[in-house]
This record gives sequence, C-alpha cells and structure tokens, in this order.
Amino acid sequence: MRKLSTYPMKTFVAFLLCALFSVGVQSDPTTKQDAIAAPEFSLPAIANAEGVISLANYKGSVTYLDFWASWCGPCRLSLPALDEIYQELAPMGLKVMAVSVDVVEEDAWDFLARYPVTYPVTIDTEGNVPKAYAVNGMPSGYLIDREGRVRAVHVGFKRGDEDALRAEILQLLEE
Amino acid sequence: MAVIEPGVKGAHSISTIRQSPLVRTLGAAVAALPAYQNTYADAPPEFTEVGLRYSHYSEDNLSTDNLIAGARGRYDIDVTQLWIEAPVGSNWSVAVDVQNDSMSGASPWFVGTQIDGQPGVIMSGASIYDNRVEVGATTRYFWADGNAGFNVTHSKEDDYEALALAFDVAWNSSDNSRTWSASASTSNDRVEPVNGNIPVFIDSEDIDTASVYFGVSQILSSTAIVRIGLGYTFSEGYLSDPYKLFDARPDEHGRTALSGGYRKFFPEAQGALQIDYRYYSDDWGTDSHTAEVAWHQNFERFALTPYLRYYSQREADFFSVIADLDEEFYADDFRLSSYGALTVGLRSSIQIGEWQMEGQLERYESDNDWGLYDGEAAPALVNFWRATIGISWRFD
Amino acid sequence: MHYALKFCSFWKNKTLKTYRFFCLFVLIGITGCSGLEPVAAWERGYLAEEAMQWQSSTREAKFKGHVYTSKEASSGGNGAAGGGCGCN
Repeated sequence: MRKLSTYPMKTFVAFLLCALFSVGVQSDPTTKQDAIAAPEFSLPAIANAEGVISLANYKGSVTYLDFWASWCGPCRLSLPALDEIYQELAPMGLKVMAVSVDVVEEDAWDFLARYPVTYPVTIDTEGNVPKAYAVNGMPSGYLIDREGRVRAVHVGFKRGDEDALRAEILQLLEE
Repeated sequence: MAVIEPGVKGAHSISTIRQSPLVRTLGAAVAALPAYQNTYADAPPEFTEVGLRYSHYSEDNLSTDNLIAGARGRYDIDVTQLWIEAPVGSNWSVAVDVQNDSMSGASPWFVGTQIDGQPGVIMSGASIYDNRVEVGATTRYFWADGNAGFNVTHSKEDDYEALALAFDVAWNSSDNSRTWSASASTSNDRVEPVNGNIPVFIDSEDIDTASVYFGVSQILSSTAIVRIGLGYTFSEGYLSDPYKLFDARPDEHGRTALSGGYRKFFPEAQGALQIDYRYYSDDWGTDSHTAEVAWHQNFERFALTPYLRYYSQREADFFSVIADLDEEFYADDFRLSSYGALTVGLRSSIQIGEWQMEGQLERYESDNDWGLYDGEAAPALVNFWRATIGISWRFD
Repeated sequence: MHYALKFCSFWKNKTLKTYRFFCLFVLIGITGCSGLEPVAAWERGYLAEEAMQWQSSTREAKFKGHVYTSKEASSGGNGAAGGGCGCN
C-alpha cells in the first residue's frame, strides 16, 4: 500500500527545483493560481490513526504535511511545536499529517514516546514519498490548501519558527 | 526554517532571480549532517546541556633499574570538567567550560650515568603539588550553511598562565555533502617557575603561539564519511623546560600536522568503524605517525567502543639520552626521544531519557623498541592508566 | 605579519612534502567526490549516529589533546591549537 501515484511527481520535482532558484521575497503564502498540486500518496499509520492514510483523505482541509525522523536533532523542537499549533488550530479546521522517514519503525515509536503528539503519524521506510516531495532537509513541512495545492515549504526548524508557521497557517485558514 | 514561496512562474521567475536569504536557507537547509553535534550541524543545540566529568590519570612508578636518585613515583592528576552549553535566541549558542587539574608527584630532573654505565634518571625529589584552573567561554553563531565560533580560554596554575583566543568557521556545500572548516588561534603564555626542591634559573618568560587549520569532510554514501585537514602552529619564546637541569631548546618551534579520518556505519551490525590518522612534522627534527582504530557498537540504549592507538615519533635533533652540554641546544627529555607507544582503551555510554552517562578506561605504554624510527632509548619513558566517568543532562 | 613570514619560510623547506600531499588529496577529493551521488536528506540517519562523529565528545577531545600533547612531542590534527599549560 506504499504505492505512489507517479503522475504529478515529475512536474512537482521540476517545479520545486525552479522554486528553489527563483524565490521571490514575498511574505504571504503563494497565490492559489500559482501553486501546484501536492502529490497523492498512501502510507500506513503508526500513531493516532488506524490502517492506511491517504493524503486524499484531507482534501478540503488546510493540511500541514510534516516529514521528520527520529535521528533529526531539530525534530525534537519541531514535533512539540507543531503539536501545540495543531491542538490550537484543529478546531478551526487544520489537519496535520506526519511522515516519519525512519528506516526502522521502532525508532519512530521510541521518539514519539519521548515527544508525544496528537496528530496522525505515518511511516515511509522506503523514502518514496520524501522523494516525490523533493525533501531537502529534516524536518520538512508542506503547507497544503483546501484545494490540495502546496502553498509553502518549510525546511529545518529553529526556536521561534513556530510563530511564523502559525501566522501562515492562520492566513490559509482564513482564505 | 526556510519558507519557499512556490510558484513564481516561468519567464517571470527568470527575470526576478534574486539571491534572497531564503534561497540560501533552503539550499543548505539544516540537512542534519551530524544532527546531534553542533560542531558540524547548522542549527544551534536544541536544548541546554550541563555536564560533569571526572578523570584520574596515573603514571607508573619509574623502574628501579632506571633510577639513580629521587622518588620513583611520577605524576598523578585528577581532572574535573564542568560545562554548560545552551541555545540563545534562534541562531546562537553559548558554552562555558571549567576544568580543574590537581597534580601531584615528581618528574625527571636530569639523566646521568649509573654505576653499571647505563643511563639513569635523577627525579625531582619529593612530591610537588600544583593546581590548574582553566575557564573557557565559546559563543557560536549558526546560519543555514554553516556556523562560526569564538572562544576565549584562560588557564592559571602556580607557575604558568595562558590566555588563548580561537576563531573557527564551518560551511557546507549546497547539497550538504561537503563541509569546509577553518580555524585560527593565538595564545599568550607566561612561565614563572617556582623554586621548590630543585633550583630553577629563570624568573618569568613568555611564549607566543599562533595556529591555523584548514579541513574538509565529505559524505561518501549514506553510511560513509571521510575528512582531511592540515594545520600549522608556530611558537616563539621560552620553549625549554624550566624544571629540567639540562634543557636548552630553540626559542622558535614550527609544526605541521596532516590528519585524516574515516567513518563507516554497518547497519546489520549496528556499529561503526572509526579510523583516524595523523602525520606530524616539526622544525626540531621530530616527525611522527599516529593511527587510531575504533569500533563503536550500538546496543539498545547503550554503546561500547573499544579502541587502539599507535604512535611513533622520531627524536628531536638536539635530543640525547644524556644531554650534550657542548651543543647550542640540548635536552634529555624522554618526550623528545624516539619511541613507539600503544594505547588500548574502552569507552562506554548509556542514555536514559535526557541523561547520558559515560565511562572510559585506557592504558598507555611506550617503548623505544616499538618505534618506527632509529634512536637511543630514553630511560624515563612513561606508562599510564587513565579512567573517566561522566554524566550530562539535557533540559529545555 | 611575523607569523606569515615564518609560515612562508617554513613552506619553502622541509615540510613542503606534507603540503604537496595535502593539495594532492584535496584535488583528488574534489574531482573524485564530484562524481558522488549526494545522499538525500531523508537517508542521513546513519550519518547522524553518534558512532559517525569525528569526536566522541568535545570534552573528551579536549582532555585527550591535553594528555597526549604534554606527554608526546607531537600536537595538532584537530583544528587550531589552544592555550598551553605547564604540564610535566
């Protein structure tokens, strides 16, 4: 069930590469017509959900897709921070879906035992989904709007980043 | 955290290419090359860490075969290290290190000839005591592609004082596969030997040292990394040992070290092979090879690292077993002789929640016969044991 | 400036060989490594292992440097040198 629909993948990667080299200095999330669709995928849940979760399940909601790993230092800050935002903004319709890129599932469980979260967490031990999203650092977060389009990408995490992230999510929620 | 704003379209995007800080931020993106060690990663430490470490260092007694006069007992040192390291704001970290060395024992005063014609050591007599306190502060700034640190360290003991400044910088290539690093430091030292049970012949002398280093590390695969570095250090001033009767060294000392390292992780074994090598050469005629091999074995919350170190040096030009006072420069210090040395050690660490404990034991032995270079055997070569225990705690 | 002159005069004579080696290594490294496939961000778990670090800990590196520098004739190899001590 870890199959991935490959159709939008190439466009997406090409687009991300372009985005990398052509970032404008805008402070708002990208406008709707410019954003491109987030690649669809399904992964098995390991926490706060059962069975297999598809990104499609979240269509119609503002969704934050977060890639993390147990061995990633800044993830020890980003998971608790993201969980706080999730608990605060879930009543306004925010969904969060996390993807652990750990090769060994137990490592992800151990990490979640130390840094518990309340949003659904899935795992991709083969790295197909981060590849489709051209993940360029750990953690990496993709902010997806109600139409399923990626509006912002966050790479890395430092103290204080949660404020900028909350503001951006709020802006999409208010659209 | 970088925010890419996707979707500046086609032709438009080409005309608006600008080197915004966001591009750089994403390009190097915290990609967590050594994620847990802030030496190479590009994010400040996530949490505050405090730690305490105690080591005992003990040299073997001098063999009676090699002793002419004085006590056989050599140095014992108790070392206590205390530190705190904390993130400050979102881009800085600060660390403060305090170290106390408490030394007692005797050291070789000079080498003479025994009744049987063999060289023997006259030790410095009764045990001396000294205490050294070192305080260092480091501030480090992190940006997306690298980090830079500045360190001030002050060291004080009864007869020696040093103030050192160091600056270092590390930056990553755009795909985070390669890390360049450079550092420079300077130290101003003052020697003020105390008249104890052996006479000293100077009041107060200075040593100035400057040092530069350049290195690069490269990720070879998802399980292998390699590094190479070159460093040069130059000292001038009073470089002789004031506590040795016959010791006259040049007042300049230039030294070069070429070093390399390799790490390979074996996922099936849950362990890594660690290999390090250093070639050293100086303008006193000494050169040396140092090779270290270790195997780091992971267990559940526990790691065990047995290691081996081999070292061999060539004697300095002005070294002789019994100092030759007719020369301009002379020394009978065993540390300048030809020999080989072997260290065998075991390190262990255990992680319980936010606590980390470590223990380490090592044995060092040196022998003229184990060396790669020719040269007569000094009678006072040192053997020692070293044991360390430590604990550190991380908190928000 | 004084140090710079020292450095240059040193460069000219005996350790030239060491520098040559270094340059050669770096050149081979740069050309050889440019053919390497970069390791993706999500595949760096093993590289983040404690076992893969250059030093087991900052404090151990400091202690070790101290012991060996005061008991052997050699020093360096791990960044720029620090301050001295009157260690015998």
